[in-house]
Parts: sequence; C-alpha cells; structure tokens
Amino acid sequence: MSLVDATAATRVAIPVKNRRTRVIAVIMGLFGVFTVFVFGFGSTSGAHSSFTFNPINLANAPWRVGSLTVVTRWTDVVLGVVMVALATEMFLRRPRRGVMARFGFVAVLFLLGLLFWAARTPGPSPTSSVNITAILVGSSAAAMVLIFGSLSGVMCERSGVVNIAIEGQFIGGAFLGSMIASTTHDFFFAALGGLFVGGLIGLVLAFLSLRYRSDQIIVGVVLVTMLSSLSSYLNLQVFTPFPNFNTGILAPNLPIPLLSKIPILGPVFFNQSGFFYVMIVLVAVVSFALFKTRYGLHVRAVGEHPRAAATVGISVIRVRYINVVLGGAIAGLGGVAFMATQGQFQVGYTSGYGYIALAALIFGRWRPSGAVVASIIFGLSVYLSYNLVTYNVPISLYILQMFPYLITIAVVAGLIGRVRAPAADGQPYLRD
Amino acid sequence: MELELRGITKRFGAFTANDQISLKVEPGQIHSLLGENGAGKSTLMNVLFGLLRPDEGEILIDGVVTSITDSGEAVRRGIGMVHQHFMLVPVFSVTENVVLGFEPTKSLNRVDYRQATEDIHRLSRQFNLDVDPDAIVENLPVGLQQRVEILKALSHDAELLILDEPTAVLTPQEIDSLMEIMRSLAAAGKSILFITHKLKEVKAVADVITVIRQGRVVGTAEPSASESELASLMVGRDVRLTVEKTPYDPGDEVLEVRDLVVLDDRGLVAVNGVSLDVRAGEVLALAGVQGNGQTEFVEALVGMRPVQSGTITLHGRDITNLTPRQALDVGLGHIPEDRQRDGLVLTMSVADNLVLNTPRRAPFARHGTRNLSAVNENAQRLVRDFDIRTTSIQEPASSLSGGNQQKVIVARELSRSLEFLVASQPTRGLDVGSIEYVHRQIIEHRNRGNGSLIVSSELDEVLALGDRIAVMYEGRISGVVDPTASRESIGLLMAGHTTETASV
Repeated sequence: MSLVDATAATRVAIPVKNRRTRVIAVIMGLFGVFTVFVFGFGSTSGAHSSFTFNPINLANAPWRVGSLTVVTRWTDVVLGVVMVALATEMFLRRPRRGVMARFGFVAVLFLLGLLFWAARTPGPSPTSSVNITAILVGSSAAAMVLIFGSLSGVMCERSGVVNIAIEGQFIGGAFLGSMIASTTHDFFFAALGGLFVGGLIGLVLAFLSLRYRSDQIIVGVVLVTMLSSLSSYLNLQVFTPFPNFNTGILAPNLPIPLLSKIPILGPVFFNQSGFFYVMIVLVAVVSFALFKTRYGLHVRAVGEHPRAAATVGISVIRVRYINVVLGGAIAGLGGVAFMATQGQFQVGYTSGYGYIALAALIFGRWRPSGAVVASIIFGLSVYLSYNLVTYNVPISLYILQMFPYLITIAVVAGLIGRVRAPAADGQPYLRD
Repeated sequence: MELELRGITKRFGAFTANDQISLKVEPGQIHSLLGENGAGKSTLMNVLFGLLRPDEGEILIDGVVTSITDSGEAVRRGIGMVHQHFMLVPVFSVTENVVLGFEPTKSLNRVDYRQATEDIHRLSRQFNLDVDPDAIVENLPVGLQQRVEILKALSHDAELLILDEPTAVLTPQEIDSLMEIMRSLAAAGKSILFITHKLKEVKAVADVITVIRQGRVVGTAEPSASESELASLMVGRDVRLTVEKTPYDPGDEVLEVRDLVVLDDRGLVAVNGVSLDVRAGEVLALAGVQGNGQTEFVEALVGMRPVQSGTITLHGRDITNLTPRQALDVGLGHIPEDRQRDGLVLTMSVADNLVLNTPRRAPFARHGTRNLSAVNENAQRLVRDFDIRTTSIQEPASSLSGGNQQKVIVARELSRSLEFLVASQPTRGLDVGSIEYVHRQIIEHRNRGNGSLIVSSELDEVLALGDRIAVMYEGRISGVVDPTASRESIGLLMAGHTTETASV
C-alpha cells in the first residue's frame, strides 16, 4: 500500500477504441467528397459566389463591410479537401476526444460549401449575392429556441428523467405566450405564462413517471400528442374567431449600445430580443449550477446512480421533481421565445423543434455547452433548409427540409458520436 | 462503538429471513458474520443500516436502544456500510464520490473541492488508504474502488463499519490488502462487522465469529476453530434426509467433462479446469460452499455461459458451447438455481410455463401456431401427476408458493424424455414435504437409468441423493468421495483440503 500502487492503478486505461469513430470518419469523408464533386466540379468553371455582410436594416450598421466574391468551383474544392483531410486524420488516429467537435466543424464546412454553391452566378460580376449576416441573424432565432429546448433536456436527463415532451412544452408556451403577448403587449407576462405552462407539463411528466413509474418516453409522447391536438382545437375555437388573441406580435429587439454596432457580430449577438439575452444567461446559470454547486452534484449523482445518492441521504424523487419542473419551465419559455420571433400561432407551429432540441442535447453530450454548439449547427441547417429555395438551388424544398431531421435520426439512433447518457436516464427509481 | 443486536426478527410474508438474531460487536473488534448465501446476512445488515425495519428486536448503540429509520440516520449514528455492490457513481471522481451528500461548500452553494481533497488526503494518511482523489472511479480497479467506499464511510465519521461480502469481487492480492486495512482500522478503535461465507478469510481476520443459517444464529466460534467445523456449522446438520434408492448400479459414462474453464461475470476464472464423469443410472452430487464456481459450471453445461476451454460430451457427442435451445434439443434438462429468474416466466400462466422448453414442438405447436388445447391438456396432466397446488392452470406462476413453483419446473423438465438432468440447488427454500417430493422425482429419474448432476450446498441433500460426491472449491474439484464418507472429511474438502480421490 503505497502511492505507487495508487498511481499505477489510475493508469489502467479503459479500451474505448470503438469502431464508431471510424464510421463517423467515413461519413465525414463522404461529406467532403460530395462537396468536392457536386458543389465544386458540379458548378461551371466560371461561376462565382458573392456575399455581403451588411445587415438588412442599415440603421444598425454605421460600418459598411465590403462584399466578398470567390470562384465557386475552387473554393468548394478546397473546402471539400479540408473535410476529407479531417476525416482521414480521424480515421487513422481514432482520437478519443473531440470527435463531436470535428464532426460539427465538418458539418459547418459542408453548410458553407452548400452556401457557396447555392449563391453561384455564372459570371464574375456579382449579379446577386447572399447576405451572410442575414443568414446568421435568421438562424440565430432557430438556434435560440433549440438551446432553450436542449437546456430543458439537460436539466431533466441529468437527473435521470427523459423529457420527450419538450415539443409539447414548446407548443404550450407558444400558445399561451401568443395569447398573453397579444392581449397585454408585454412579453414579460408572456414569458411568465410560458414558464408556468412548461413547468406544469413538466409536473405532469414528473408525477406520472416518478409517482406511477410510467414509461417516461410514452408519457412524453402522449403529452406532445395531447398538447398538439389541444392547441389545434383551441386555435380553432379561440384564435380563429378572436384574432385579437393571436395578433402575431413580435418581441422588440433590444440593441446593446456600442456592441450592437460591431459588424456581423453586432446584429447577430447584440441586437436581439430579450429572450436571446435570457437564453445566454440561462446557459451560464445551468452550467454553473450543474457542475459547480452542491445541488448540481446531487442532480448528477441521482442521474447516474440513484441508489448511491439515496444511501447518503439525497432524496432521489425530490431532486427529479425539481429538475423536471424547472426543465419544463425552460422549454415553456423556449416556446414563448419561438412565438416572439416567428409571429402568429398556427397549427403545427413548432414543427418538431422539440425533437431537434433532443438531438442537439445528445449531440452535445448532455452538457449545456455542447448543447449550445449543437443547437447552433442544427439552427443553421434548419434555417438554410427553409431559405435555400430563395437561392439558386434545384432541390425541392421538402427534400431540403428533411435534412435536419435526418441528422436528428442519425444522432438519436446513436450513429454519430460516442453517446453516453447519464446511467440512470429513463430508469424509474424504486426504493427496494 | 459497541453495537448490540437483541432478538432481531425480520419476516417477508411467510418467510422469516431473520429469526431472533442477537450478537454484540465490541469497539476495536472484527466481528465476522458467517453464513451461506440466503442465510439472512444481507437482510440483517439492511436492518442495521436502516434500509429495512425489523419486526421484532432492538438495536443498542453503546448500550442505548436506538431506532434506525433510514440510512441517513444510520450514518449519523456512526454506522458506515461498504456495500457488496459499491454505492459509487462511476463517472465521478474519487473526491466527488466521497463528499457526495456531505459536501463542504463555499459561497453560491459551490462545492469546496479544495477543502474536500484536503480532507481526503488527511483521511488517507490517517488510515493508510492511498488513492488519488482526482481519479475517476470507473477507471480504478475494484480493489481501489472499495477503498473509496471505505474512505467514504470514514469521512462520515463512522465508528462501526459493515463490510458486506467485501472480498467477493477482489483478487487474492486485493483481499490481502483489505485484510491489512481491516486490521489497522480495528487497531484505530473502529468496530468492524465482516459479512462473508468464506472460511479462510474469517479465520485470517476475525476476532469473533457468529455463524447464521436459515435466518438463525446457529453458533459462535473462535477463529481458532477448524475450517471443517465452521463449514459444517454453516451448512447445518439438523435435518437428516433419507431417500429410498435402488442399489447403485452404474452403466456407461453419459456425460464427460474435460478440463473445463469458465469465467464469471467479471471475467475472472470461476471454473478452473474441472473434469468430471457422470454415468448412466447415477446421481453425481456436486457439493461445496456457494460461490466456488458451481453456478458458472452449471451455466456452462446448459449453454447459458460460454466455455473458455475444455470440452463437454454427452454420449460421446460434443456439446461444448451450445446455445440454450440446442442444449434443450440434445436432451439436457435443467432445474436452475434461481427458479424465479431462470426457471419461470412469473407473469405467464402455469400452463405456459409447463411448456416453456418445448413451445415449438408438436403437439404444442403446429405450422407455427400454438395448439392451446394440447398445452392445456399437458398442464392438467402434469398438475395432477406432480401434485402442483394451483387454483387453475391459467393462474400466473407468480401466484404459486415457492414449493409449487419448483414443482412446475421439475414437472416440466422431467416430463419429457431426457438424456441428462442438471439440477442446481433443487430444494432451496422449500418446505420438507416439497423437498421429499423433488428428491423422489430425481431418484426416479436415476432409477430409470439416466444420469444426473445435482449441485447443492446442503450437505444433507448431497449425502441423501449422491451416488458419488464431488466437492468443488475455488473453481476446482478438491475431491470425489462415496456417500459413506464422513461429514468431517467432506467438510475438509469443502474448505479446500484435497484428499485422495476415491474415483473419478
């Protein structure tokens, strides 16, 4: 019994050289090859892509940034080659860390390549151009909603409860939020309403899965279905005859002095609605609470090994109730944020954002920071899939719209990334 | 701490897990609680740790009657428990695990990890328990994980440590190291309650030994007591069982096992080169204290666990590494050790359970559909023939008593034509009537000229059923003797002494 024996023991490594890393590398490589041959050599040799960076609302841009014009073919070829290089590196070295980061980077490069390709014009003189700042601002709204959703998932799943009902909490928040915002013209009350309805749905989920130990996935799906039908019904009964309850009022932007004037970054980060800033604060708070505080340690212990937590006097059920209700409230707020940037509530309004948020949560490995990065990538691809049709893309809108969901399926099915959920995630807890 | 238990009784329905158990642990003493699996040791510990409430009896701490309502209460009273299945969060660091529930905090409710790490260093030095506070628990070998468990208990100021089967998961070197730790903790004035079924360890480390069997204290012993004495106390001799048998007239070898090596769930060698023969018209009884590889041996025989090396042949045909379905098809019958886990589907009806091993065969299935009338006829016949007490053949198996559940399994296995029967602890937990019944069925199977292997840790059962008795110890056969051998000599074999083998 000496120090030697202790350190020697810690050096025992776990063999996690998994084949999955190589599968991901191959997928990344295919993205790269696709970029080289379809986006690169697929565009005519003289084609150019041109970008502008000035915000649409020029009042917010005392600075003017020039436009950027590049040769489409070779830019995309270079992008593709970089992607293939990254894939090769990963295939050969099989790194243990940073697999998701590399994949995320390649996904961004791919979207960029797609953008270059979509923006191409036959000649060198830019007749039309793609506004990068507008794209970033547009996708920041989608990313924000996804971050709310995945943060909600982090809260619930870290304590061991799967929250499939995020979509339902979005719907509930958006519906009630629209009603309150339309009547009071105050988004603070709308936010409170969203927190309340999301928390309430969370409470139902917690009650059924903790008290009656129902299957959490099924309860979650049932809640989503129920809320989606309920909102359709209420939409018909309330919003259609009384349009004043659903005016489609948008939350005003609150530009931060000076910072909002920075080119590109300013409009994206510092000229947003209050919900965006709340979201940023929330990411920091959840991160801090989960990884630095006593409460967070208890939450993670409960999500990993509830019996161990119980033997040291932590109430597993209580921790789970608290987290599921708080997580629900966050998703409810996300629903209001969605409505505050999208306008009028409609049937099928949130179109599966809740499930994409779940995928972002998994992709981000159950960490708030990871969820943010994943949400940004997903947000970008959601936005692009809806907006690429305005560019020169000969692909059906509906095919493009499948893209984020395809990634979602791949992530949720565990095809991409070393997925390691909290060990007790989704497991009902039984006291003997 | 001085701990005294007075007349602790704990019942689960009709089953009495602890029956009037009394014992006393003195400060600085290593008190060993010795007993077989299922003897009621873990129940007693759960009572002591506040996880279960006793029906009768009282717990005295330093002479004061104390009621322990939950484990938090037990911890506050200075009772620390090192669980058999560690209560550690695998992805947490050592520090996080040790402080969990008792975190030192600074502002904003933050955990003060620097303070925590210092505390761990201090404790490790004090009790000579080296471990890196920043290591992630799942990366540590089991022995060190256990050290973390002990540190965790000590950090809560435990004065009495309960070690529940602490050596079950350790390598021999780690066991030596644990013994060392236990001695030094005792020397520092801590009381230790050491629960185990391993005789050697008890003799090596205990100051006082209490032996329990079927929920009752059956004796106390000094560590100077011989292992065979302890073994016979543990497995008991209070019931003498006799079974009518026709004279032993063995035929040819039916089952031949050669140099079998099988691993346990943790990947450690559980069966270490076992060779056995069983002949027609013979019951070979495999005796031994539980946990010496019998379970893994049987699971390997019936295709429930892969064989690492060695061969198994049945009537000269290689049956090594069959799937369970293939094992059924070659005519192996299996009465499993854990009847509720491996023997029955508790939620299914008695009738369905009675055809669990032959659902795809005529007459129970035809053209891929089930023939329910044949299933029901079969059930009615077996319920009558084997005297299974059930209100209806459509009742779920879970509604039957333990003895009747076992009869369902015995009826199912013995009602088809078998080449060989493997029965593991076939009468565990049964009442005397059911025991007799099951024994008679097994002997009838033998009298028809079939081979059987019966695994039992009950010495009486082994002596009553076996035509020859093989004793297993630490994954090996320590000897094969005739049923006329003395209990003492079998006890010695069970304790790992080897003798001249009578015949193999």
